Amino acid sequence: MNHFPELWGRPRDDVYGPYNSSYLKSTGPKTHTQSPAVTGTSVVAVKFNGGVAIAADNLASYGSLSRFTDVKRLRVFGESAVVGFSGDVSDMQYIDRLLESIDIRENYSTHGNLLNAKNLHTYLSKVFYKRRSDFNPLWNHILVAGFDGDKKPFLSSADLLGTTYSGPHLATGFGAHLAVPILRRLFPEEKPIEEITKEDAVSALRECLKVLWYRDARSLDKYSIAIITEDGVELNEDQKLEEQSWAFAESIKGYGAQVV
Amino acid sequence: MMSAMGHQSQNGTIGYSFGTPTTAPHKEHSFYPYTDNGGSTLGITGEDFAILAGDTRSVAGYNINSRYSPKVFKIGGEDDTGENAHIILSVVGFAADGHALKERLDAIVKMYKYQHGKPMSVRACAQRLSTILYSKRFFPYYVTAILAGLDEEGKGALYSYDPVGSYEREQCRAAGSAASLIMPFLDNQVSFKNQYIPGSGEGHDLQAKKKELLPMGTVEHLVKDAFTSAVERHIEVGDGLQMMVITKSGIEEKYFPLKQD
Amino acid sequence: MTSIGTGYDLSNSVFSPDGRNFQVEYAVKAVENGGTAIGIRCKDGVVLAVEKIITSKLLKPGANKRIATVDRHVGIVSAGLVPDGRHFVSRARDEASSWRGVYKGPIPVSALSNRLGSYVQAYTLYSSVRPFGVTAIVGGWDSEAELAVDGQVGTGPNAGSGGKVEGAKAGGPGLYMIEPSGLYWGYYGAATGKGRQAAKAELEKLDLGSENLSLLDAVKEAARIIYVAHEDSKDKEFELEMSWISSLDGPTKGRHEEVPKELLEEAEKAAKRALEGEDEEEDEGTKSNEGERMQE
Repeated sequence: MNHFPELWGRPRDDVYGPYNSSYLKSTGPKTHTQSPAVTGTSVVAVKFNGGVAIAADNLASYGSLSRFTDVKRLRVFGESAVVGFSGDVSDMQYIDRLLESIDIRENYSTHGNLLNAKNLHTYLSKVFYKRRSDFNPLWNHILVAGFDGDKKPFLSSADLLGTTYSGPHLATGFGAHLAVPILRRLFPEEKPIEEITKEDAVSALRECLKVLWYRDARSLDKYSIAIITEDGVELNEDQKLEEQSWAFAESIKGYGAQVV
Repeated sequence: MMSAMGHQSQNGTIGYSFGTPTTAPHKEHSFYPYTDNGGSTLGITGEDFAILAGDTRSVAGYNINSRYSPKVFKIGGEDDTGENAHIILSVVGFAADGHALKERLDAIVKMYKYQHGKPMSVRACAQRLSTILYSKRFFPYYVTAILAGLDEEGKGALYSYDPVGSYEREQCRAAGSAASLIMPFLDNQVSFKNQYIPGSGEGHDLQAKKKELLPMGTVEHLVKDAFTSAVERHIEVGDGLQMMVITKSGIEEKYFPLKQD
Repeated sequence: MTSIGTGYDLSNSVFSPDGRNFQVEYAVKAVENGGTAIGIRCKDGVVLAVEKIITSKLLKPGANKRIATVDRHVGIVSAGLVPDGRHFVSRARDEASSWRGVYKGPIPVSALSNRLGSYVQAYTLYSSVRPFGVTAIVGGWDSEAELAVDGQVGTGPNAGSGGKVEGAKAGGPGLYMIEPSGLYWGYYGAATGKGRQAAKAELEKLDLGSENLSLLDAVKEAARIIYVAHEDSKDKEFELEMSWISSLDGPTKGRHEEVPKELLEEAEKAAKRALEGEDEEEDEGTKSNEGERMQE
C-alpha cells in the first residue's frame, strides 16, 4: 500500500515491471487507413443489349483467411443501378450507408429518386477522389452498372484514387487479369453491345467466375449476380458455381518434383 | 573513432544524439495517392489553327483499363457536350487529377463568361491554369497539361505546362509517356531542327531550313504519323487517336483507330 | 379573453398567475384555422389525409404537397402555419437521419414522435422564440420483419448466440399527434385543424380501438371524414391529399406513399356519395318537420 490512490488496484511495477503505455500514443501526426483489412476480391460486369450484368463472389477475406462466406458485395441503388464492390468491406459498408441516406433524401422531393447509374458513378468517383486527396482513402475499387441519362446501358469503374474508366465489359482486382481477356475474346470491343444477349452476358460472367475460382486463391464458388434491364434489377445473392472441383489435379503427373 | 563507428553501425546511419524513431522498418501497404495512367498527348499550332491530340488508352501497370478514355477536353463549353467552347485542354499522367483539373478549369472559364459577359481569352486562361497548378505546389496535380486555342489575333496558340504550373507558349509540344519518342520527331518535322538548305554551304556554313508554319493538312498528317510510330515503340500508347482541331469556325473533333496490341 | 391587457400574453416562457402560457394558446388558435388534417391507425397500416383549401385558382392542382415523408416509413401531416409545418418536417428528417447514424436502422415512430415532442416543447421555454403554429400528425409503420442493419453484408448465424429468435413479435402501426405545447399522445384516430370536432366525432364512430377496420376501408373513411369536416366551410373549394403506410405484405410494403390516384378518386367519389346520401336524409327530415309544422 502506498499513498498514491491512482496507483491502487494496478499491477505493481516492482512485480510486473513498469506499465507500457506506448500504445496510448497521443502525439505525432494523425494517421488514417494505410491498408485494407477485410477485403472482397474481383467484380466482373458486361453490357448487353438492353442492360448490364454484374457479378461478384460472396467472400470477404481477412488477409489469406477466408473470413466471411456470405458477404453480399453487390448493392442496389434506386430502381436501376447496382454498385459492385471489391476492396475493403468496412469501407463498402460506409459507402452503402452513404448511398442509403442519399436515396432517402432523393425520395423527399416530389419527383422521387431520379439519380441514374451515371450520376451515381460521378458522385462516387468524387467521393473517392476527395478521400484520397485527404490522405484518408476509401479502400475500394467499384463497378457501377445501370443506365445513363439517355437510357443507354452504362458501366463504369472508380477506384480508391478517384481514377475512372468505362468499357463494354470491366473487371476489378484479379478479374482485370483473368476475366477481362475472356470477356474481350467473347465480346470484342468492336462488336456492338446490341449483338450481345442477356443470356450471353450471364453465361460469360459465370465462365469468368469459374476461372477466378480456380486461379484466385481469395475467391469463392458462392456468388451474387445482378441483371439490370429497363424492368429493374434482378438480383440473386445465393448462387453457386456447380460441380467445380480441383480433384482433377490428383491425376496430373509429371510436373515439378513429382516425376512418376 | 571506434565508438563513433560502433554507434554508426548500430543505427545504420549517422549517430544522432536524440532517440532514433521507433516506427516499423517497413509497411506492407502504405497509401500512395498517385498512379500513372499512361498515354501521350501532342499539340501543334499553325497560322490560324491549333491541334491537340491524344491516344485514348488508359493503363494501370501492364493492364489496359479502357481503350477509350479521352485525354483531350473542351473547356468552357455550354453544357456537357462542350458546345461553343473556344479552348481545349489535354491532360496526361494521373487521370483522376487530370479529370479534376479539367473540371476546375472548365468551371472557372464558364464563371468568367457569366461574370464578364465575354469569353475568356486563351492568354488569360493559360495564366489561370498555371495558378491552379501552382496552388497545389506541395500536393501537385500529377499531370502534364497542354492548352490550346486561338489568340487575340486569331493565330493558333499553344501553352504547355509542367505539373506545378511552369508554362510557356510554344509552336508544338508532345507530352506523356511517349513524349521522348514524339518530341524529337516534332523538332525535326515542325521546327525543322537539323534540316538544312541543300547546297547552301559546307560544314558550319550550312544554312538552316527557314522556319515556316505548316498548313493544317500537313499537321494532321504529322500527328497521325507521330502516334502510329509511338504505338509501335511504347506499350502504353494505342487503341485510338482523339484529335481536336480549333479554328475560327469552332472545334472539330476527330477519331482514328490505332493498333490495339 | 382574460389574457388581453394583463401583459402575461406578451412573452413566451412567461406563465400567467393561473398557470397558463398564453403564447402556446395563441399558437393553438393558429392551428384551429388551418385545413383539417386527420390520421387513422388500423391493424395493417396508417392513413393520413388533409383538406387543402384552394386559396387561389392560379395554384397548380396536385402540386404543393402538404403531407411529407420522413425516412421511408413515416408520414407527417400538419394543420396550422404551413412554413412551421415545413420546419417541423425538416427537423423530423434530421432526427430520422441522426437515428440512422447512430443505430444503423430506421427510427421507430414512437421514438421520432418523442423527439419531435421534445423539440416542440423547447419552443415554449424561451422568450426569444415563439411556439410552433402547428399540430402535427405523425403516422408510420415500424417494420415487423427482422431488420438488417444498414450496410449489413451477411445473414449472420441461424442459431446459437447471435442467432434469430423464432416468432419474436415486433413492429406495427404508429400514430401520434403533437401539439404546440409539445404535448403528444398516441392515437387510433387523430384530427386537427378547423374541422377537427366533426372529424373526431366521425372517427369515434369507427371503433378503431377494436382494430377491425382494414387499411383500404380506412382510406375511404378518411376521405369521407375530410369531406364531412369540410361541410362547415362549404363556400371554399378544397383538394384532398392522402397518403398511407401499409404493413410489409400490404400495398406499400412498409413505406410511406401517396395513395394511388385511382384509389384516391374512388374514395373521393364514395365520400361525395355518402355526403349526398346524408343530405337527402336530412332534407327528408326537414321536409317532414316542415310538414308537421304546416299541419300545426
